[in-house]
Formats: sequence, structure tokens, C-alpha cells
Amino acid sequence: MRISFSVLIVFIFFIACNHKEEKKDTRIIKIPTIDSSAMVKPERTVNPYVPVDVSPMDMSYYPADYPKLKMTNSAIKPPYARVVYSRPHLQGRSLFKDVLKYGEPWRLGANEATELDLYTDATIQGKKIKAGRYILYCIPEKDNWAISFNSNIDSWGLHPDESKDIARFVVPSKQTNNSVEFFTMVFEKTNDVIELVMAWDNVEVRLPFIF
Amino acid sequence: MKKIFVILITFQLFFFSLLAQTGNLPPVDKSPMDMSYYPASYPVLKIQDKITEPLAARVVYSRPQKAGRTVFGELVKYGEVWRAGANEATEIEFFKPVRIGGKKINKGRYTLYVIVNERNWTIILNKDTDTWGSFKYDAKKDIVRAAASVQKNDTVVESLAMAFEKTGNGCNLIIAWDNVKASLPIIF
Repeated sequence: MRISFSVLIVFIFFIACNHKEEKKDTRIIKIPTIDSSAMVKPERTVNPYVPVDVSPMDMSYYPADYPKLKMTNSAIKPPYARVVYSRPHLQGRSLFKDVLKYGEPWRLGANEATELDLYTDATIQGKKIKAGRYILYCIPEKDNWAISFNSNIDSWGLHPDESKDIARFVVPSKQTNNSVEFFTMVFEKTNDVIELVMAWDNVEVRLPFIF
Repeated sequence: MKKIFVILITFQLFFFSLLAQTGNLPPVDKSPMDMSYYPASYPVLKIQDKITEPLAARVVYSRPQKAGRTVFGELVKYGEVWRAGANEATEIEFFKPVRIGGKKINKGRYTLYVIVNERNWTIILNKDTDTWGSFKYDAKKDIVRAAASVQKNDTVVESLAMAFEKTGNGCNLIIAWDNVKASLPIIF
């Protein structure tokens, strides 16, 4: 009896906490113990300058952890590439049931368009891509994803302007056994190929670069 | 009692799966990265066709939290070079030439460091980009050192925030954390 009473108290607490939140946030409330370990915590006070994004931004270099490598080796060559992207999280949703749709463009992240900075020329599927700054978006299908390189940089991720595509590559998508909670982009080296790994939920896509 | 155990174990399993899921993929940073443009919200304006002035600057930085600590003078020591963020060093980029501290700054990417003091801050632009923290800070690679004015606020900013505010002849880079707001004039 005492247990069910405390469960009730906790339940009431959540309802009470939830009361002032917007409707879209109820999903967070459902699974508080899971996400609190990794999720960006809400501000204790309102940030009058810039609120903290629910989908935090992140950066991945090739070579991986380049800024850290540079600390220990000041003679290191410049990096080859980096990607700047935001990391939405599933929060109990299923990727292709609740978040993305097959055949519809997705910004490969959240908020600002995902940015790829190439510090040197690269070759992808036989096509040369010049050093420079691009935005990336994808069109996911069940068995493969099209990854677009687009020149409309410094833009928001919604409604990509396909007329500014400079290249589009189709790569197979793979089902994985694990589910990744936060959308992740990272460069990995396998043999002579550097792959940009894009992983979310149980889907993984790899775009090979040759530098 | 059994129910409690079941609930606990379920949560634990979720928690472990969350830890395990990352494998060698990078976990989410405790101090998330963020980006601010001048003009403010430039990317949104761009897709809405509402741009009224050209892109001038952006800053990419990480946002540590105050988390109950006294930030300036304690967590960030007075007189020491601070990366003005967390993790990767803070990066500021200019998309056209600007003037800072009376000096012409070419367009390009720079690493931004700060030396905090109680009444004034020194903002440093350094040409050694793509670096981590301020551990390998090299003053020989400085481009400019400029003074930023400091203002104490009554309200506390929990997460470090950076933004650009329009001025008569350019913009100010605002750096705000805890109860301090610093403004660096950028002229263009």
C-alpha cells in the first residue's frame, strides 16, 4: 500500500511538473530517468541571450579528435575534413515510424543545416569534390540513402534548395543490432577509405571519401 | 516490492543500453556546442528570403553550465587564458574584413580566447584554429588583443551564451555567463 502510495505521489509530481510545459514536451516526461543521464538539462534560469538547444550541436573531425591530437603533436598536418551538425534524439520514438519518411529530404541533424568543411580536395564515388564548405542533406529510402552536397551554406536545415546541389551520392543503408539514441556523425578509417558514418536508431549509412 | 524491483531493473536496463549504444561513437557532450551568427538567426532568414544585410560573423562555441559554481574569479581564474567555452577552442569567423581593437582583421577563421579580470576582459584572436581548449595557446600566433567592456547583471545566466548584437557601426560580440556580460565591439 505504501508503495502504491509513493508511486502515486511520483505520478502526481510528474503531472504537476508537466502542467506548465508545452504539449510537445510530454514525450520527455514519459522517460525521465533514461534521458536525464545524457540529455541536455533544461536551464535553471531562462537564458536571456540564447536558449540551449534540445538537439545539441557537435563537431567531428577527420582525423578523429583532431583538436585533441593537435595538443600532443604540434607538427600535425592540417585536418582533412570536419562536420558540424546537431544531434536530435529518439526519446522513445522509432526513426522511420515517427521521425523520418522514406523519400523525403532530411537535414541530417536539426536546426542549422549540417555543414561539411573539406580542408582538401576529396574524391567520392569517382567524383572530385573541391576543398570548401558545403551543407549536407539526405533523402533516405529503405535500402539506400541519397546524400546531397549543396552550396547553400549558412542556411537552416528545412527545405533544402535542390537547385544548389553540387553532387549527390547513393549509398546503401544498413540495419544494426544496437539502437543509437542521439543522431551521430563521425569519420572512420577503414583500409584506404575514410568513411563518414551517419547513425541513428538502428540505421547506419557510410559515405566513403578518398583524400 | 516486486513491482519496485521490476521498475528499477527496467530503468537500469534502459540506462545500460544507453551507455552501450554509443560503442565507439561519440557520446553527447555535457557542454553542448552551439553557433551564433551576425546577422542573428541568419540561417533562418536565409531560407525565408528575409536577409536584409550580408553575413558578417559567426561564433562556434561550447556551452558549459554554471551548475551552482561561482564562475568568474573561481572556476575561471582572473588573469589566465580561458578558451571561452569547453572542449574544442571557441572559433570565430568573419565573412568580410572587420576592425577589432583598432586593427583590421581579414576575413577567415580564428580561435577566440579570453583573459578575464574583474573589471575588464581581454579578447584574443589567434590564428591557430582547429584546436582544443587553451592548453597549447601560443601568444606568437595572436592576431589581435582587444578590450571588452564588462557589466555585472542581477540575473544569472546558467549556460554560457554568445550572441552578436547590432550597433551603429557593426556589432558587439556578447559573451555572458553567470552574472557577467562582456561586449566586444566589432566594426564593419
